Amino acid sequence: MQVGLKIWRYSAATGDRALREYEIDAPEEATLLDCLDIVKDRHDGTLAYRKSCRMMICGSCGMRMDGAAVLACKTRMYDIAHAGHVPVVSAMGNLPIVKDLVVDMDPFWEKFKSMKPWLQPGYDEPAEGKEYVVSQERMNVIHKEALCINCGCCVSECNAMESSPEFRGPQALAKGMRFVGDPRDGATVERLADYSDEHGIWECTRCYFCNERCPKGVDPRDAIAKLGAEAVKEGIDRDMGAKHAKWFVRSAETTGWLRETELVPKTQGVISSIKEMKFAMRLAVKGKVPLPFPPHVAERVDEARGLHKLVREQGKSGYDGIVQGEHSLARLDHGLEGEGPPAVELGLETKLADGSDR
Amino acid sequence: MDAKHDVLVVGAGCAGMRAAIAAHDAGADVAMISKLHPTRSHSGAAEGGINAALGNTGEDNPEIHAFDTVKGSDYLGDQDSIEIFTREAPGDIYQLEHWGAIFTRNEEGKLAQRPFGAAGSPRTVFAADITGHVLIQVLYEQVVKRDIKVYEEYFAWRLVENDGRCQGVISWDLMDGGLKVVGGKTVILATGGAGRLYRATTNAYACTGDGMALALRLGLPLKDMEFMQFHPTTMYPSGILITEGCRGEGGVLRNATGERFMVRYAPTAKDLASRDVVSRSEQTEIDEGRGVNGSVLLDLTHLGAEKILDRLPGSRELAMVYAGVDPIFEPIPVRPGAHYHMGGVETDSDGLTELTGLYAAGEVACVSVHGANRLGGNSLMETITFGRRAGTAAAEWALANTTVEVPDAVERDAERELKELLGRTSGERPWKIRDELGSSMLDNFGVFREEGKMARQIEIIAGLRERYPGVYVEDKGTVFNSDLTQAIELGYMLDLAATMLQAGIARKESRGAHSRPHDFPTRDDENFLKHSISRWVNGGPELSYKEVRMTRWEPEERKY
Amino acid sequence: MKQVAYYKGCLASLSAKELDTSTQALAPKVGLELIDLESVTCCGAGDIHEAEPDYYLHLNARILAYAEATGSDTLMTICNVCTLNLRQADFMLKGDDALRERVNANLAAVGVPPYSGAVEVKHFLWLVADGEGFELLKASAHKGLKGIKIAPFYGCQILRPSKLLGFEDPDKPWSLERIIEACGGEVVDYPAKIKCCGFPIIQAREDTALGELIQPIEQAIEGGADAIVTPCPLCHLSLDAWQSKLNAQRKREGLERLKPMPIFHLAQLIGVAAGLEDSELKFKRHIVSMKPVLAKLEV
Repeated sequence: MQVGLKIWRYSAATGDRALREYEIDAPEEATLLDCLDIVKDRHDGTLAYRKSCRMMICGSCGMRMDGAAVLACKTRMYDIAHAGHVPVVSAMGNLPIVKDLVVDMDPFWEKFKSMKPWLQPGYDEPAEGKEYVVSQERMNVIHKEALCINCGCCVSECNAMESSPEFRGPQALAKGMRFVGDPRDGATVERLADYSDEHGIWECTRCYFCNERCPKGVDPRDAIAKLGAEAVKEGIDRDMGAKHAKWFVRSAETTGWLRETELVPKTQGVISSIKEMKFAMRLAVKGKVPLPFPPHVAERVDEARGLHKLVREQGKSGYDGIVQGEHSLARLDHGLEGEGPPAVELGLETKLADGSDR
Repeated sequence: MDAKHDVLVVGAGCAGMRAAIAAHDAGADVAMISKLHPTRSHSGAAEGGINAALGNTGEDNPEIHAFDTVKGSDYLGDQDSIEIFTREAPGDIYQLEHWGAIFTRNEEGKLAQRPFGAAGSPRTVFAADITGHVLIQVLYEQVVKRDIKVYEEYFAWRLVENDGRCQGVISWDLMDGGLKVVGGKTVILATGGAGRLYRATTNAYACTGDGMALALRLGLPLKDMEFMQFHPTTMYPSGILITEGCRGEGGVLRNATGERFMVRYAPTAKDLASRDVVSRSEQTEIDEGRGVNGSVLLDLTHLGAEKILDRLPGSRELAMVYAGVDPIFEPIPVRPGAHYHMGGVETDSDGLTELTGLYAAGEVACVSVHGANRLGGNSLMETITFGRRAGTAAAEWALANTTVEVPDAVERDAERELKELLGRTSGERPWKIRDELGSSMLDNFGVFREEGKMARQIEIIAGLRERYPGVYVEDKGTVFNSDLTQAIELGYMLDLAATMLQAGIARKESRGAHSRPHDFPTRDDENFLKHSISRWVNGGPELSYKEVRMTRWEPEERKY
Repeated sequence: MKQVAYYKGCLASLSAKELDTSTQALAPKVGLELIDLESVTCCGAGDIHEAEPDYYLHLNARILAYAEATGSDTLMTICNVCTLNLRQADFMLKGDDALRERVNANLAAVGVPPYSGAVEVKHFLWLVADGEGFELLKASAHKGLKGIKIAPFYGCQILRPSKLLGFEDPDKPWSLERIIEACGGEVVDYPAKIKCCGFPIIQAREDTALGELIQPIEQAIEGGADAIVTPCPLCHLSLDAWQSKLNAQRKREGLERLKPMPIFHLAQLIGVAAGLEDSELKFKRHIVSMKPVLAKLEV
């Protein structure tokens, strides 16, 4: 079949940047990676990209197609080619580009290493030099985090990292959860304290791009939420993000509705809130600062309080509260669910209003 | 020299990383050189599992594991090394688990073990069907913990021999460009196999036999080069692997009539017979017209969604993406594909090669624990056990010796060759030679071999080797010049192909993965119970033979 | 008229009251009869999901149970975050019998009717972008938008994760554009329309959030938009109320002030095209004045 590709060529050495178009003949089962191989072999040997396994396990071939990070070896080209669409292929985002589709992965690996990503055994010793005895169910807590192939697709699209390049990011934090949730690791509290720093758990903006882009189903955003839940459970909650989250809980079990006005001092502290006075007044004159008194109480809020008590007693606290839903949500991934969201319409409009490529 | 270390490991897959960890823990200053970032190494694509006689699932012990391995090797394996291997394997597995490897657990919370090909007892420890991935992750974590230096995306090009020892590696720095010389008191090759010699292979692009070719060109002997294992369940046309674990969990192979044909070929073990037996059975079914579009069918539909999603989710995704079938509802079309190279650089049980200071471990090496055919699950175990042994041995030697020197002449030589290769502005693009090599090897040196085809293949390879010096590299740049490294890889493969064919045509018997049903259909222990040894002499392969080391088991008829 | 259980969420109850009044006034015109829920609480946002996820599940199960009790088959939301939260809880409970049993037992213990998965959660946007709702929308938008330029801003949690939401392609959504055009406006397209406004971290990590927030606003200005429209009151709050903070930051960095960008709630945009009263639309509650764009509409 005929396949058209537009590839952003770039050289960090010279600074030259250009969008080149290629027309190739590829087999019907070809993936984007296969097409790049054909371009490099037969049309332009200078095209640079990483590849190895071509079966979605090594993580080498992360790149952007039409602005969204994908694994090139996972992306079948049949539908795209037959629709006559010419995708724009470019390097992953949030990482410096070295050449064409090759990015400098050093910042990625540095953040990974900053999580102390190795098992730190606790006091429990396995018997007679044999294995730790752990149930499969207990190990399933980190089932998804264990799938990560370090491809960088999540990092490429992370909105928080784009704004704050030092944010540790979805991959590193998911790796952190792999250890926090591993019963054999004895450094849980130290890890949570470390990961709760300025560029850790609470800097995640919850845009869910990482979940959406991950080609392996790791769901890094959920891993971050698990870390947050566990941190709060362990009382590691000094961060404003944690305080903010806890106030939602307090609101729900007292008045049912979010106690918006008190949210600011409860999150930022009284002194910082005073600094926000000017901002707050601007909102107040428009009626956007509801008086905390009398409290806006939901009907039958005692039910919400009662539920909180039961939930506390039943102890599905911390990351267990999120893990418990994974069995069910996995059915959506597997495509076996009878109900579930309607099929996604893959429209092919990729031009901006002014006619330029996305 | 740009740098020097006590131990230099070339290759950062399971064997390389395990060797580096062992060398570090023995007190040596160790570094790895790898043309890929470590976690990209092909070990990570291994799926089904890793063998050790833990005895968590029924009666098992290292002797039984050793016998299974010897029989599996069609009696070509060196039994002393095999005994060491199966004895030390359990300890190595527990070590990995203590480091945090995420293995699947049984009902008792211990390491689960699944049945695998030709195993007397279920002994394959696994992590769903992504065992290799889990091992790569845990080993890399331990590498990071020890802060072991990795020269990442350095393409190894020359081994340095000086003063009767191997003293370093010359590499092409892929990121910045230019040749880099790294000295090492000892060098460990852990560069994996050479599946890319075949058009249909489970192997990654990177598996081009680099270490074997480097050792060969230095004059070292390669052992049993004709033995390439064809994995029975690979998808068409990609060659992508569907794990033996599918059959371990109860999947069966069927032909076009729906018959479970393995019952005929291996009445006892059936679909879990030794890999060479299964591949031959499949090929026979296909050749005799009972295939479906050139494949047979791997049927998992009776396993149920629950089991497949629990134990084989990776395989399901692979089948859906690359074969367009959901194995819960439909069988997967599969056929044999080049998978694992039993042959390689000859070493002893400590990974030491003929050259002082040079070691090898993993698929690149031939100890030999796999002889003429490898059992599923033994390769991952080999990388760990022999990786550790080689790392420890290399570290011990390095710590007892002080000097490292790389003569200028070697450096200049490499630079000259590089300039020549980059200097060509016209000629043939490498892909043509690469494609012709891959197709012809599959046609003439595949599952079934015979004199006429092998003779023709020898001519074809000679022709390709004649064309190779005319190959030109289009990318003249220094930054990420994979055009250059891919051209060099092709050169490696051509030399290895020549050694494989010479050894293959000379072996006038059928043993393990070397099957000659038309001209030499049986095993000939009287004349060929010996290893093929290939050396590079005057620009071509030279063949000799070496005894098989037997301790306990005399060759018997091999039936499954 | 289609009966739908109406879940307005926290902001629309209080600081974003204008969204509630607009929605209630607009609903009958697009064929929706809003049934009030007997008693509900905050859905917990990403915060309770992250702090006490089991509680999050129960709170949302309770909301779904009360929605079911109205007899309607649809629970209508007017906030991105509520939509994701409720749909996620719904899927968690639907696919796991044991989990559903435990949650129902707890609900029963405090006197809440049972959850049985009988309602589907849909954002108001989805009900009017297609089908019957869309036809009625077209018919009702008689005053029209007179060709003013509107930049759609989706935000995050109405699109992602798409396996939980799935109404439209998360990378190429079309619903807001379709509505803008149907109401007589002109669409301003720009890349950041599906990116994050930063609201979840606007307090805990203000600088990071502002680095995100600037993008849709700047791009909308560059595209010549008269206003932005968004289906989420949380996005609305950051886009509208935090523009002043953006300008304060720019002042500190020695940059020019941004041209003020008025922000519509979705229901307001349709409402103004349908001729709703100012007392219903309540534009005066916005921080950034709506006057310039309303002037163009001769309102």
